[in-house]
Amino acid sequence: MPDIGVALSTIVSGVLLGGMLALTALGLSIVLGVMRLVNLAHGDFVVVGAYVGLFFLKFTGVDPLLGLPVIALIVAALAIPLYRFLLAPLAERGPEAQMMTMFAVAIILENAFVLGFSADTRSIERDYATLPLTLGPVTVPLIYVIGFAIAVALILAVHWLISRTRFGRDLRASAADAQAAATLGIDVKRVQMLTFGLGAACAGVGGTLIGAAFQFGPSSGAAYLLNSLAIVVLGGLGNVLGTLFGGVTLGFLQSVGGLTLGDGYRDLVGMALFLLVLAFRPDGFLARRRS
Amino acid sequence: MSQRLKNIVKAGSLLALASIAFGLGAARADEIVIGASLPLSGPLAGFGSFQQWGYKRAVAEVNKAGGISIGGTKQMVKLIIRDDKTDPNAAASNTETLISRDHVVAMLGSCTPALVNAGALVAERAKKPLVTGCDPLEAFKSVRKWNYVWDLFFDEPELAAAQFKALAELGAQTNKKIAIWHDNGPDGQVVGGKIWPALAKDFGYEVVQNAEFPVDNTQFTSIIGEAKSKGAEVVLVDAITPQAIAIRKQMAAAGFTPKVLNIEKGAEPVQFAEALGKLSDGILVGGYWDSSLPYPGAADLSKAFESETKLTSSQHIADSYAAAQILLDAIASAGSTDPEKINAAIAKTDKTYAVGPVKFDENHTAKLPIVSLQWQGGKTVIIWPKAAKTGEFLFPLP
Repeated sequence: MPDIGVALSTIVSGVLLGGMLALTALGLSIVLGVMRLVNLAHGDFVVVGAYVGLFFLKFTGVDPLLGLPVIALIVAALAIPLYRFLLAPLAERGPEAQMMTMFAVAIILENAFVLGFSADTRSIERDYATLPLTLGPVTVPLIYVIGFAIAVALILAVHWLISRTRFGRDLRASAADAQAAATLGIDVKRVQMLTFGLGAACAGVGGTLIGAAFQFGPSSGAAYLLNSLAIVVLGGLGNVLGTLFGGVTLGFLQSVGGLTLGDGYRDLVGMALFLLVLAFRPDGFLARRRS
Repeated sequence: MSQRLKNIVKAGSLLALASIAFGLGAARADEIVIGASLPLSGPLAGFGSFQQWGYKRAVAEVNKAGGISIGGTKQMVKLIIRDDKTDPNAAASNTETLISRDHVVAMLGSCTPALVNAGALVAERAKKPLVTGCDPLEAFKSVRKWNYVWDLFFDEPELAAAQFKALAELGAQTNKKIAIWHDNGPDGQVVGGKIWPALAKDFGYEVVQNAEFPVDNTQFTSIIGEAKSKGAEVVLVDAITPQAIAIRKQMAAAGFTPKVLNIEKGAEPVQFAEALGKLSDGILVGGYWDSSLPYPGAADLSKAFESETKLTSSQHIADSYAAAQILLDAIASAGSTDPEKINAAIAKTDKTYAVGPVKFDENHTAKLPIVSLQWQGGKTVIIWPKAAKTGEFLFPLP
């Protein structure tokens, strides 16, 4: 049985990390909710965010946390042409064509990372990323606390955007019934394009945080895609606040798995949970409380 | 466009397609084709880039000198490299392709037991000689009795013992409590699961934790927390580079700084120190080569790498360069591209290369001498044995 300090530290760290992972999953969730698209390149958008954060620091000398809005805009600007030129023309051909297109984009991005930045493992080197924060018997990485705070703030901001603004109203209408929304004068393609860009921006912010907290390389995207899918299913498809719930739940349960079975079994616990939820509650735990 | 011109264009296109489909990598009669599958992408790409440089340099040197004499005619050497993406299945299929489509006469290996052995088994089945480094000898020998595959690298028991001997000789004062963390790959299980625990006992240490994790694990929170709570002052890790980086960052973020941190495998390439910055200072890693060692061409090799690539060199340039030289020497000595004759010539290798003395034993292995390296200011220095020392031992871990 692990020491109480170790157990508490591991669980609190897991919950905080879950919040950060929720941010990486948020983009996948809103794109899925509005466009009915499982963006298989989402994990690679997270990696794009990590690289943008790394080079932002290198070339400007400005801390990537301060530059998060710029990083978000850069990643969104890179993603929007993908929607405009690859996804929009396939809109009439059903979600499968778009999904396979994004699968191809994921492969191309991974190879582009290798060509452009080499296959080396990277990390955004910041002092705060390796400092511990100790409160009584609990020690957690400071970057997890920072990441969690940013994730919660951003998720609440996106929730507000979707539930309280005109764009959010259009987005919800497009998500509910794109055809009906179009007949009411909503420019569904524009809404989808902005949603896709918003999703990429969230992935970019999450990627920068992940890049500072951990390490990343050209092929890191797949792992983040898998985690994001589990979080989206746990929290409910397209449910913004549910994503936070899904992330925190996954983080908590992975920590319990790490404590009881060993760190190597964290993903096993997460994926087992993912399958259980898919089997017994496919709309997620918070399905009735959609944003 | 006239009909005739159209027909010419069509015929030309068909010919071009046919040449792509059937003959792109085909050997010309006047060249010797050798090949290698390397991890140029994926988690082990840090190793693959160094190996690629070592292989290419050896081939370029031979070609610059006019090639190799085969049946009285000088022939140039063509090296074909395929990316295995750090995937053993791709390493095996690349090796198949090198043999069947590229018609190689012999091959060079990939890196780590999983990748090297996957390709080596294909080479063995096809009776094509393959010379490799980057495959610890016990893991290599455990696969089968080899006939066509040759491995020059370090021996795991010697590497594992090196840090214990170094700590004893350098007088590192610790509470003798050790935490061992290792991946579940073939060499991780041998070193971390068996050899280190046995050696710890022999050297008077108490193993307070022995944790195993999958090779793609990224979270080490509870492993680190447990080692910290048990007061381990010596931490021995066997993991690949992405995990090694994650472990060091997470140790710092958990406020856990043991007196000694040794990371085998993952702490070897320079990208480890580049990703970690000053956090890499003081980390120990077993090594088998340094440009300061008194082997012919060792210092020049490192300088050539650094001037060509503008990167810091790694010990992997030495074993890959030597592996290619051994194969090319064997082809020259055989004076033939017959795989059987090349294989027989490899068996007779007995020479000191830039990586050190190489003579294969009955298991087709050549053991490279071990040194203990420590990262200091983004570079490695030899801290043990005394005779080879190039820097002072930084203790305890900063």
